[in-house]
Amino acid sequence: MNERVAVVGYKQTKHTIDSPVARERMVYELVKSLYHDMGITKDDIDTFVLASNDFTDGRTISEVFTVPRIGAYMKDETKVEADGLNAALYAYMRILTGLYNTALVIGFSMAGSEFRVPLTQSYTMDPAYERPRGIINFYSTAALQAGAYMKKYKFTDEDLAQLTLKNIRNANNNPFAARKDPGASVEKILGSRPLYLPLREAHVSTYADGACAVVLSSKKTAKKFTDKPVWIDGVGHFMDTYYVGDRDLLAMEHLTAAAKKAYKMAGIKNPKKEIDLAEIHTNFASEEPVLTEALGLFKPGSGKDVVKSGASAITGTLPVNPSGGPLGANPVNATGLIRLAEASAQLRKEAGQNQIKGAKTAVVHAQDGPGAQLNTVFIVRR
Amino acid sequence: MTQETRIIESTWDLTAYQFKIEADALSLFVKGLKDRKILGRKCGTCGTVYVPGPTYCRKCLIDIDQVVEVSQEGRLDAFTVSLADVRGKAVDNPFISCTVKLDGSDSFLMGVLEGWTDWRSVKEGMRVKVVWKDVTQGALADLSHFQLI
Ligand SMILES: [Zn+2]
Repeated sequence: MNERVAVVGYKQTKHTIDSPVARERMVYELVKSLYHDMGITKDDIDTFVLASNDFTDGRTISEVFTVPRIGAYMKDETKVEADGLNAALYAYMRILTGLYNTALVIGFSMAGSEFRVPLTQSYTMDPAYERPRGIINFYSTAALQAGAYMKKYKFTDEDLAQLTLKNIRNANNNPFAARKDPGASVEKILGSRPLYLPLREAHVSTYADGACAVVLSSKKTAKKFTDKPVWIDGVGHFMDTYYVGDRDLLAMEHLTAAAKKAYKMAGIKNPKKEIDLAEIHTNFASEEPVLTEALGLFKPGSGKDVVKSGASAITGTLPVNPSGGPLGANPVNATGLIRLAEASAQLRKEAGQNQIKGAKTAVVHAQDGPGAQLNTVFIVRR
Repeated sequence: MTQETRIIESTWDLTAYQFKIEADALSLFVKGLKDRKILGRKCGTCGTVYVPGPTYCRKCLIDIDQVVEVSQEGRLDAFTVSLADVRGKAVDNPFISCTVKLDGSDSFLMGVLEGWTDWRSVKEGMRVKVVWKDVTQGALADLSHFQLI
């Protein structure tokens, strides 16, 4: 058995809305340059865990093109049909067994150029109640949640625009982000095309082509790869029920439960004080207060104060998505894994212009399903 | 409880199919077919010859760019006699699908085998050759079939 697992290497592509290369070349270049940076070869990797989704990739067994491209030819390999942070969770558990010491985790997507995310996601909705009527989809679920939060906690359209702007500005300084909007303003966000009010086009994450790869190692072998391991000290993984009508979209009890489990594992008693930054998976800007409050990072209903005080800005008391988050790039399936890479960059002081001073502990979050039906939480430390 | 199951009828309306592929292997291969050549790529490190030839070696995980032409004759590696279609319906004219390893290639090409009268007499290891369409235009279909020699 292994007792402790660390992120010992990470890399992401420059995400784009129309990749000039196909998925197999994208992951090949990414993984080869990660191996090169780390001074390792594919033979240093014991197990490979890929995140991809047959449905959103447009074909079944969606890892076939990418398996040989990451060096997993004739090696131990498996796939997770969910976000890349779930793939990291599987890899983490594989290492804990003691049967493996190292794992390569990769998530990739052609969500920018190939498949139409909202349309495809609509077919994951309940076939008896939700799909035939076509009313409930990922957009409208998020809009219902946003509307409920805004009404209950007097969170205005201006507050939401301000929050969106914070993320766009962070993304402007992130060299990997697909969305670049130096001229963004509250006025422009308020005037952007309405989709499902209160949600507008500017609030939606940027569906992108891109990939992210992370190397995990047991404590036993970590020193061989880096003198800056980022330890995974807590994990939690909970889901809410499938049928949207059976869910309290504001309560997010499943995320709170996942976070509590992860904090307990990591020995964290007061996340508001002990967490230095959060990298969370938001498909829409409006999810940020809902998710961060369920994660115990801010008081319930404090979204307005957080925006006004700048608490979640890079210079704030608890920065949220200093990378710009998925508003900057949402290569579906890689998105949550990118949160782990970005948090690792912060803890290793490799986050460039968006670096937070003295960050030691981070919470990382990924979601799947409409309105964050399934949530994965990692606590990582330097 | 009077009904145990119920059918929900709805549509499954996805847009047209688009799939972005890496072009090199296919482009080189079909360009060769137009000139009635079988082209692939060879890894300079391990010597593997891939037909069609991607621009990387999956064994060495390195880029490869050495274009090689392989023989138009080779060995029947495996075959199946298609007596029914994919839905299980018997076909009037049974045909043989096969894999062939052309001399000089480490990959297998798939195609239809002709030149036999009784499929019971076809054996793995028999020599075969490429037969071209009368007019080649740079498409996979330029390679008409394999013929027993
Ligand atoms: Zn090779």
